Amino acid sequence: MDGKFAKISPFQIDPDKIPALTAEDFAPAGESEKASMVQMHKSISYWRDAWRRFRSNTVSMVALAVFLLCLLFAFVGPSLIPYSYAEQYRASQKLAPFAYSKGEETIRSLEGSCDGFYATALQPGSITALSKGDYYISDRGSTYAFSLTKAVEKSVLILNSKAEEPLILVKETDLQPDGSYKAYEPIAFTESPAEGAARLKLVRSVFPHVFGTDSAGRDIMARTMYGTRVSIIIGVVAALIVLIIGSIYGAISGLAGGAVDFVMMRIVELIYSVPEVLIVLLLQVVLKDPLQQWFDTSPSAFAHAMSDLGAGIVSIFITFALLYWVTMARIVRGQVLQLKKQEYVTAATALGASSGRIIRRHLLPNCVGQLVITTCLQIPSAIFLESFLSFLGLGVSAPMASLGSLCSDALETITLYPYRLVFPGIILTVVVLTLNLVGDGLRDALDPRLKK
Amino acid sequence: MTGYIVKRIVVAFLTLLLIMCITFLLMNAVPGSPFLTEKSTPEMIARANAKYGLDKPLYVQLFNYIKSYLQGDLGTSLKMQEGTSVSRIIFHQGKFTLSLKLGVYALLLAVIIGIPLGCIAAYNRGKWIDGFLRVMTTVGVAVPTFVLATLLLVTFAVKLQWLPTLSGSLPDAKSYVMPVISLSFYYTCYVAKLTRTSMLDAINQDYIRTARAKGVKTRALILKHALRNSLIPVITYLGPVMAGIITGSFVVESTFSVPGLGKYYVQSVLNRDYPVIMATTVVLSALVIVMNLVVDIAYKIVDPRITLTEKED
Repeated sequence: MDGKFAKISPFQIDPDKIPALTAEDFAPAGESEKASMVQMHKSISYWRDAWRRFRSNTVSMVALAVFLLCLLFAFVGPSLIPYSYAEQYRASQKLAPFAYSKGEETIRSLEGSCDGFYATALQPGSITALSKGDYYISDRGSTYAFSLTKAVEKSVLILNSKAEEPLILVKETDLQPDGSYKAYEPIAFTESPAEGAARLKLVRSVFPHVFGTDSAGRDIMARTMYGTRVSIIIGVVAALIVLIIGSIYGAISGLAGGAVDFVMMRIVELIYSVPEVLIVLLLQVVLKDPLQQWFDTSPSAFAHAMSDLGAGIVSIFITFALLYWVTMARIVRGQVLQLKKQEYVTAATALGASSGRIIRRHLLPNCVGQLVITTCLQIPSAIFLESFLSFLGLGVSAPMASLGSLCSDALETITLYPYRLVFPGIILTVVVLTLNLVGDGLRDALDPRLKK
Repeated sequence: MTGYIVKRIVVAFLTLLLIMCITFLLMNAVPGSPFLTEKSTPEMIARANAKYGLDKPLYVQLFNYIKSYLQGDLGTSLKMQEGTSVSRIIFHQGKFTLSLKLGVYALLLAVIIGIPLGCIAAYNRGKWIDGFLRVMTTVGVAVPTFVLATLLLVTFAVKLQWLPTLSGSLPDAKSYVMPVISLSFYYTCYVAKLTRTSMLDAINQDYIRTARAKGVKTRALILKHALRNSLIPVITYLGPVMAGIITGSFVVESTFSVPGLGKYYVQSVLNRDYPVIMATTVVLSALVIVMNLVVDIAYKIVDPRITLTEKED
């Protein structure tokens, strides 16, 4: 053959390369061969797909990780540090971050020779729950009791496992700089240690005040943790309230259509054009007294649970339930109107799908992305509103704390102790920022149509 | 167009009426009276109630409010500045002017800084300046106004002492700096973000490619062709900005001790000075509503494609 035509065109089969066919090639396919022909991928569910998209978004993943850290800080943190948000440590007021009061400093210098340290709560008058002169301390499963017949100005309890009597009471003034001390008489065990343990909290050991303490001697880190928790809870609950009211209202309006829809949307428009903040401020003041009265008089468990939250927080929830659901209602209505007319809904109807199936299989999965996104973005705005109200002196009331009220407290002493504003301020910013970024990531992941 | 404007004005009036009713109901839902002090006796309270018409049935009181408002009379203060007419308190003691000045300057700053920043970011898409601006604006919308205001206060007034701590009634240019910046920062960032997004949308449109092919210079391209079309979402956003700036002014006014309307509103609510609460709410709401109306009409002028009728859905 001529060399020019030796190359076979791609549409021709080179007869030399056809493998020799044997009888086996015509045998029916086995199970494994059939299986290999079936699509190799499992079908991917909506959420798995969304998660895959979300995971590939670095910014949102980092934001999610940081937000989870904030959650740990708020919900696990308080159990890791020995201070509580409400307890006032009189000797350690107005400490800078990582600073120690004089008593704490003394105990810290003793750290090598002792197992545990107890301080300040032994000031006379600070333990008043028990009968005069009897004090109980619970530590590592055993309860120690001791008597103070004379008032000791500042005393330190030292738990020393090497000594015969493990618990020794020392006057702070008797502590030597080198750690030695003059011991008082040994302390006897009480006859009813259980009672003592139940009534008395473990006195703190020396743990640094990472963010310092406030003017009342409360640990700012403990308060910030607690405040973050309160703020996040307020944000989530308010967003859920908005979700429930808004989606029900919007769905009814969208499904019903006609005159019902018209009237419902005019109401939404009216509420929408009301400047919320003015009404919110008014509501905060108005609701305080009636709510308090309701807490005090109503015997129901619901009222009791609400009274634990305090009138300020409950009125924030009421505010959200009254004014902030309109955006959600509009979004849901828009979605329902749009989805109602989609071809696949018509197709499903034509194929005989029940309306329940259409709602479950077609309307809901297509709506849920929007709901999740809007709810997620509602949380930071609720946190913002709460902090704004607390900053103006409404919202949560002391000793309860939220990030806004902490900032507001810090403002009074801002010139002397600027760090008191910095910590809650930064955490508030970080929480809002990460939630915004996670919300943006969710938008891209759950609703790819919106992606630019 | 005229029909639409008339309709919107009617709706605006209805909204104001609704706001008056809500405010009235809320005010009267609070137990206690503005005249309740440690020294007051029931007779004194009754006399004061009779003097200011608070002993009449609620619907009569509400009707009186509406009637006097329609006549341009905002009533007299019951408590905070007893006997002074409310319109005098709001308009002639500089409170409204102060708040309005702060608000307008903040709004201007947000627009004047925010839009160019957005343009710069969009034009330099993907470069470091875009990245920097994106980080700044994303963080910027997460910083609460009061945190920013206080940080500015500590840095520039307390530590560096460049600016006055108390802005007071804004006597000089220096005292404006911090309140206006902290009030407008969030909105500057938001406007920059919005401008960037819509600018990028516009840049990818066919008419821009055509203009570029025609040889229009980049500068003219951005300013003349892209910017005009990307301003629509920004303008839509200005209505909510006005409402938000009023919110922010409460915080800013209390942080920098500016005796404006925002601060006065909070005080009047806490003092239960009914006519002052009512008047301040109505004046501020009217401001927001008018602003929304202006924005909607400006919208139409910028983009003639928009029909100002009810949308289908």
